[in-house]
Amino acid sequence: MAVKDKLKTDLFPTIWCPGCGIGLIMTQLATVMDELGLDKNNTVLITGIGCTGRMGAYMNFESVYTLHGRTLPVAEAVKIVRPELNVIVVSGDGDTASIGGNHLMHSIRRNANVTVICNNNEIYGLTGGQAGPTTPAGTKTLSSPAGATYSPINLQGLVNTNPNAFYAKTTVYHQGPMKKAIKEAIQWPGFAFVDVASQCIENNGRRIGFSSANEMLQNYRTEYKAAPAGATRLETHQTGIIKGERPAGHAPNNGEN
Amino acid sequence: MTKRLVQGNEAVLLGAVKAGATFFAGYPISPSSEILAQASVHAASHPEFRFIQEEDEIASVNAILGGSLAGAKSFTATSGPGFSLMQEAVGYGHKVGIPCVIINVQRVGPGTGMPTMPGQGDLLQTRYGSTGDYTSIVFYPSTVAECYEYTIYAFNAAEESRSPVILLSDAFLGHLNEVADLDAIKVPIIPRTLEPLASGSTRLFSGVATYPDGEPATADGDEFIRQYYEGKACREEVADRYAFFEHGWNKDAETLVIAFGITPRVAQPLSPYFALFRPIRIWPTLDKELAEIAPRYKKIIVIEGSDGQYANVVESVLLRRVERVPLLGGRMSIEAISEGLERIGMLPAGFAPSGSKPPARVG
Repeated sequence: MAVKDKLKTDLFPTIWCPGCGIGLIMTQLATVMDELGLDKNNTVLITGIGCTGRMGAYMNFESVYTLHGRTLPVAEAVKIVRPELNVIVVSGDGDTASIGGNHLMHSIRRNANVTVICNNNEIYGLTGGQAGPTTPAGTKTLSSPAGATYSPINLQGLVNTNPNAFYAKTTVYHQGPMKKAIKEAIQWPGFAFVDVASQCIENNGRRIGFSSANEMLQNYRTEYKAAPAGATRLETHQTGIIKGERPAGHAPNNGEN
Repeated sequence: MTKRLVQGNEAVLLGAVKAGATFFAGYPISPSSEILAQASVHAASHPEFRFIQEEDEIASVNAILGGSLAGAKSFTATSGPGFSLMQEAVGYGHKVGIPCVIINVQRVGPGTGMPTMPGQGDLLQTRYGSTGDYTSIVFYPSTVAECYEYTIYAFNAAEESRSPVILLSDAFLGHLNEVADLDAIKVPIIPRTLEPLASGSTRLFSGVATYPDGEPATADGDEFIRQYYEGKACREEVADRYAFFEHGWNKDAETLVIAFGITPRVAQPLSPYFALFRPIRIWPTLDKELAEIAPRYKKIIVIEGSDGQYANVVESVLLRRVERVPLLGGRMSIEAISEGLERIGMLPAGFAPSGSKPPARVG
């Protein structure tokens, strides 16, 4: 099998804007799926509303394009009914952390054995660029002309309310670490959340002073640093993986020994 | 063949299990909570039956959509306020074509209302509660035995129509204990109709207007209209096979009472004076049956636990005025019905609801 077989390339080009970060996530996800032997018979994709949600349409898997915010109840139910399947949620920050926030909190609490890959572009991109739950305070958006009022939601802190959960922060610039994070998350026996900083040039970047997607990528390169080995908590603009305690006896997701 | 005392809510759970349900997701809400509790008890001793208590009704309904796609006959149970929260997903289920069953044990609304008192004010939200156009199939039993029977039919209709089918109940019926022999009720079970997730295809289940190959069809009116009428035709054709109703009481009377759910049983002492039309399939409306039966009667009275939700529907189906007896505030009693009939000048002469002997049954 090849990575290309994981994608419905006949549907390309995608609907995403030129310079969008989602394709960079999809490529690494497809690569990891290939390496782990994930296919249409053992894996399903659950996607949410927003630009990221379209990913399910472009991959050679069964996928459910759920209602806005409802990926996790659907994903968790699929896992309950079919525990043998790998259930991967792919969605944006608005879908996951705002309208789906209550489900996120409780799926974490229940240690739902699903993997969440969150395309975190700090904006509501599909609707044109309104402030979201991850938008940094002070950011000018369509709905915060004087700058966003509040600080972003603490996704790491939320995930880590469950001591057995897995949280990774990475960026689309850091392709190697992002791939590692996605791979380990899929293999994690319990709730796993990959928080991927990803650029939205058209509906966020230009408004806040970037002139190209590449500039945003270079910004990730200079702004984000890998957390020191053994870190138990990631600081702002640190990439890394925070693993929980891995309870004994919890059935592994896939390929876990 | 064992007769025993069964509660309405319990009969619903037993009917679901009989129908082959293997996944329940729900959130506690009076007066439906016994279904949630008994589903959890059933799951504890039946490993093939999966159960989750969700964080809210939105999670519950989306979970049963996911559970159904994954391969399990799935259901949830709620009451009016919870059902309101589920509405977006009801429309999603219709759009995507997902069989599942939603039980709505009605109480008095709006708002938090009267949580333990019976109401029938959710009729219209079972038909028009979600955004856009869709064809709901809704049943409303009248006895504990029927709660069992029509829950099975609800699962069957859901499979055949590939849509969320709703079973209405109410606080009165849900909490009613009656002697019933459920084993004597034989309804053939329709097997699953939807190929479960991850069985070799690469389907995209999407609430967005989408072409069969997964490409968005969000600006293609022709494709939307084609898919819409395809779904509507399927659901109407299935509903035709489930055209349940009862035409009874004193059929030779001059006046026809239309009532459903627990209400005709509450109105039973009036049976010598009126004919009864009891729709069991609430939606789609029983247009053909009403058109055939209603012209035999000079007057029609709709007695219902809302301020005219079904009366308005009957008027629009028959193009004829009907009299109304709304039973509000949880007052589902023969006294309240008598007061209502008196108000419209239709209380039978000599009939007194309390302190008098109930009239002899006819037939």
